[in-house]
Amino acid sequence: MARTLLCEIVTPEKIVYTNEVEMVIAPTLDGEVGILPLHAPLVTVLRPGELRVRYNDNKDVEWFAVSGGYLQVHQDKVIVLADAAEHSSRIDVDRARHAKELAEQRMTELKERPAEAREDADACQADLKWCEIQLQVAERRS
Amino acid sequence: MANLRDIKKRIVSVQSTRQITRTMEMVATAKIKKAQERIESARPYAFAMVEVLQNVARYVQGASHPLLEEHDARERVVVVTITSDRGLCGAFNSNILRITENLIRSEAEAGVETDVIAVGKKAIGYLRYRGIEPVASYRDIADKPTFTDARSIASSIIGRYTAGEIDAAYIVFNRFKNVAEQKPETYQLLPVERRVMETEEEQGSGVRAEYLFEPSAESVLEHLLPTYVETLVYRALMESAASEHGARRTAMKSATDNASEMITTLTRSYNRARQAAITTEIAEIVGGAAALEEA
Repeated sequence: MARTLLCEIVTPEKIVYTNEVEMVIAPTLDGEVGILPLHAPLVTVLRPGELRVRYNDNKDVEWFAVSGGYLQVHQDKVIVLADAAEHSSRIDVDRARHAKELAEQRMTELKERPAEAREDADACQADLKWCEIQLQVAERRS
Repeated sequence: MANLRDIKKRIVSVQSTRQITRTMEMVATAKIKKAQERIESARPYAFAMVEVLQNVARYVQGASHPLLEEHDARERVVVVTITSDRGLCGAFNSNILRITENLIRSEAEAGVETDVIAVGKKAIGYLRYRGIEPVASYRDIADKPTFTDARSIASSIIGRYTAGEIDAAYIVFNRFKNVAEQKPETYQLLPVERRVMETEEEQGSGVRAEYLFEPSAESVLEHLLPTYVETLVYRALMESAASEHGARRTAMKSATDNASEMITTLTRSYNRARQAAITTEIAEIVGGAAALEEA
């Protein structure tokens, strides 16, 4: 039996995932970080992207879309604090696609009057990114 | 004595009112439970968030960050007022609005201007009536607040604080103590109070874990603080939602009880009136018969 770590993915709204896993691979600001058991204590900022966990002698992989947040490792316990996170099987593809179209539309509207809508554009860009990641992760399901 | 038909009418009308208040009571009871569950499920995130914040703070000694800095001059503050969208919940909204007004008044006495962010139709309506124009208002989020709502409120405050437009931010909301009790509370959002970042001295093992930070402790802190403020707002929104249902349940329960009491009293006087009418009738018949016999 391989050594495991406890992985918890929480969002402000709910606990998305908690399980004993063998490896956590998370998207950080400048790349990816892979966490194995006995990892040194770590706190890092996550960027929006794909997070995956491996378990069962690394045979099983589960994918998650995360919209950015934080990750803390302490004594074989990984806590992922995500603003939003969704398991690949729970992503509503139609909704994500629809939301993406809306975001794209708003983006083009906002481009026409860039000065006043700086913050809106940023928020919109983030929405768009989040939709893209969800779609991308949704394709990972086997 | 009121006539029979009038009393009957009132009984029927009180009965239908009671039907409504009783239904609302039951609906509120069901909703409290859901709202409470929502608070519960937000707890792990909030705890983990504070833990990370404290860990980071230990490494960034004398941490400086725009959201931690108190501004020298105090000229303008923001108050986020959280009320409900609907009424019939006792003193729930009036408590909040009273506190908000007191706050505005005491700030004004100190020569500080106050901007109000109104959440909930009740706050919007009331403030407008009092001639206070909220700088931002949110409706239809009080019942089922999402983190996105909280983020949108928080980010506007954070932006203005960083830009130096405002010098403090408060949030006024009903804290959910238990199903029967809500406590209106004022909480300082900005500047972030340093004491939340201080850990109680670790008991037992004097050994602290040496954390690594990526990219650096400072930049983690920079990301973390705004999110922390967002979770505070989110928490307040959820507490308020649960409190609203609690307050409504209490209010509707006493309304139902009062209606029942009223129906009892009315039924009693209805029966008395009916009895009196019958008695009068018998007396008349007996009187009439006696008169016939004598003739």
